[in-house]
Amino acid sequence: MTFEIPFGPQHPALEEPINFMFEIEEERVVNVKPRLGYVHRGIEKIAENRNYQQLVYLSERICGICSFAHASCYSQVVEELLDLKIPERAKFIRTIVAEMERIQNHYLWLGLTAKEMGFETLFMYAWRDRETIIEMLDMISGKRVNYGMSTIGGVRRDITEPMIKRMEESLNHLEARAEYYTKVCTKDPSILKRTVGIGILRPREARALCAVGPTARASGIPRDVRADEPYAAYGEIPFKVVTYRGCDVASRMYVRIDEIKESIKIIRYALKNMPEGPIRVKAPMRVPEGEAISRVEAPRGENLHFLKSNGTDKPERWKIRAPTLANLLSLCRMLMGVNLADIPVVIAGIDPCIACAERIALIDAKTKRLKVWEGKDLWRYANEWYRKRYGL
Amino acid sequence: MVSEEIWALIQIFLFPGFFFLFFLAFFTEWVDRKIVAKFQNRYGPLHVGPKGVLQPIADFIKLLSKEDITPRMADKVPFNLMPVLLLSLAITPLFCIPIVGSNALVSFEGDLIVIMFIMSLIAVLVFIGGWASTNRFSTIGSIRAGLQLFAYEIPMNLAMIGPAIAAGSLSISKIVDWQIHGFWNLFIQPVGFAVLTISLMAHLQRVPFDIPEAESEIVSGWIVEFSGKKLALIRLAKDFEFVLASALIVSLFLGGPYGPWYISPIIYLAKFFICVFILSNLRAAFARYRIDHLLAGAWKYLTPLALLQIFLIKVLGV
Repeated sequence: MTFEIPFGPQHPALEEPINFMFEIEEERVVNVKPRLGYVHRGIEKIAENRNYQQLVYLSERICGICSFAHASCYSQVVEELLDLKIPERAKFIRTIVAEMERIQNHYLWLGLTAKEMGFETLFMYAWRDRETIIEMLDMISGKRVNYGMSTIGGVRRDITEPMIKRMEESLNHLEARAEYYTKVCTKDPSILKRTVGIGILRPREARALCAVGPTARASGIPRDVRADEPYAAYGEIPFKVVTYRGCDVASRMYVRIDEIKESIKIIRYALKNMPEGPIRVKAPMRVPEGEAISRVEAPRGENLHFLKSNGTDKPERWKIRAPTLANLLSLCRMLMGVNLADIPVVIAGIDPCIACAERIALIDAKTKRLKVWEGKDLWRYANEWYRKRYGL
Repeated sequence: MVSEEIWALIQIFLFPGFFFLFFLAFFTEWVDRKIVAKFQNRYGPLHVGPKGVLQPIADFIKLLSKEDITPRMADKVPFNLMPVLLLSLAITPLFCIPIVGSNALVSFEGDLIVIMFIMSLIAVLVFIGGWASTNRFSTIGSIRAGLQLFAYEIPMNLAMIGPAIAAGSLSISKIVDWQIHGFWNLFIQPVGFAVLTISLMAHLQRVPFDIPEAESEIVSGWIVEFSGKKLALIRLAKDFEFVLASALIVSLFLGGPYGPWYISPIIYLAKFFICVFILSNLRAAFARYRIDHLLAGAWKYLTPLALLQIFLIKVLGV
């Protein structure tokens, strides 16, 4: 007997609204239908009415966690259109903040995944350690979440000598903690039972479904924008692309923990070899006509921004492709055949960020016309739909 | 005669009867929450009363005052009856456990069997409650609760029978009595002690085995439709089950209220909170298992170990 189980849009295991309709056969998933659209905010449309400087702040608010990835990606795409060379020091600072954001995100992910497994203690521990890196970000930028560091033509704040001293201390602490988590996650039998062999995504499927970020790297594909197409200062810093061949949730966990360690090394190297000089150059308000694409390796995977300008101070079209949207197809593949109890862990495995991924508009399929609905219409539609479906 | 009756009334209603048990249940919940919070690097309850000791009572009163919803599609009679039955079933066995002296308030030959029976009934009630609320999540939760019963019930009962065989009696009071003259059962039957502790964790649906109510998977499972007074009663019943679990371990394996020098409820409570500490500690140390892991583990390891323990008792004659 199969029966359908709704998962979301409100569900304790999901931090953000997305709906999955699972067809379950004796606790085993036989079919899954994802449904997006609960947090569509119309950011791309808003962008057409703002100037380029204002959009830096808007881009930061696409996602709460990988805010710097979006802001720096947007800055890069505008700089490319302007043909602007940013100072070397700014490139290094961008790299440092991006890697700190990666550490912050991966600790957050580790905690959330532990919570999905029902391991509250690890959740509390990981989030306490995340506090260390957030305090460092607060010290550098003045904010804990949306840092406001990146701007067109460079960065807004410098990293000074006393800051570097404090950062080294906290990096040592974080490295020791990452070692500890490696030990916990490779040894603890209850974690291994819940992660090894769960949510398999074979390398061939990962390639075919265009998986990005840690999801692809856990399937053994060394796909990393930082190495493939170096931006900021990544071309000058030696680092290793972490890959694992397990193709399961455990590998995704190990990839992320190892990436924390790798990020710490990158930050140390960047702090040591940071050149002196200015941190930004002045950018003009008007952007010449043209099109450009920029890619950034966000903590969750490849982040893509496309910008088309028309010679004014406002963009013609700004298109964002966040990593979660790229991984959604792979996620549905992973979910096929897993146990009902493993669904939250597998979903958490790709580190979903739904608010990033929401880029749709309501289009009538027959007339191809864009419809704008007010709250009243939505209310009417919802009532009718339920009346029809359940006969209430 | 009159004074004897008054004494009996005091025993039933004040100590070690209802009044004491209610406060013990709330206090145990507080201790449990505090210990787990310490392990998880948090504070735990902090504001109501000194160090938050009144928080469980405040939670209970808050839930009582909240709106009580019965879903339209629910099977009304079992749905409304289940929390009350659950609470009364959880309190009843506590009267069979000797706290003050070697004699419990209610003591007869075979009360151990009655307690086993009631503990199984509790699991069946959980199944009925989840099933009657006709929610998809609670249906899955109640099916899981039923499956979990198959996993832990047999090793748990076998581990509880071990002390009874050693003492030659099926009455808890007599088992406790027997332990003064010999050793605590913990030293004679360590395997049985371990099996009982693990199975009780499964019975209590606490973290490694909170499969029927797994919050991140099926949104609290069988509890999901209960609200207001019903939820308050269910939570209180869970506290009583926790008290019962610790009390059973103390009585069967740790010699009840007997200390090295004298008999006292204080010694009983000391042992009781050691058990609470062990159970809370286990709760903080693991990730949740899956239902198939639990079933496989229970039948592969727990049941054979419990049988081995009984075999050892018979062969070695201890």
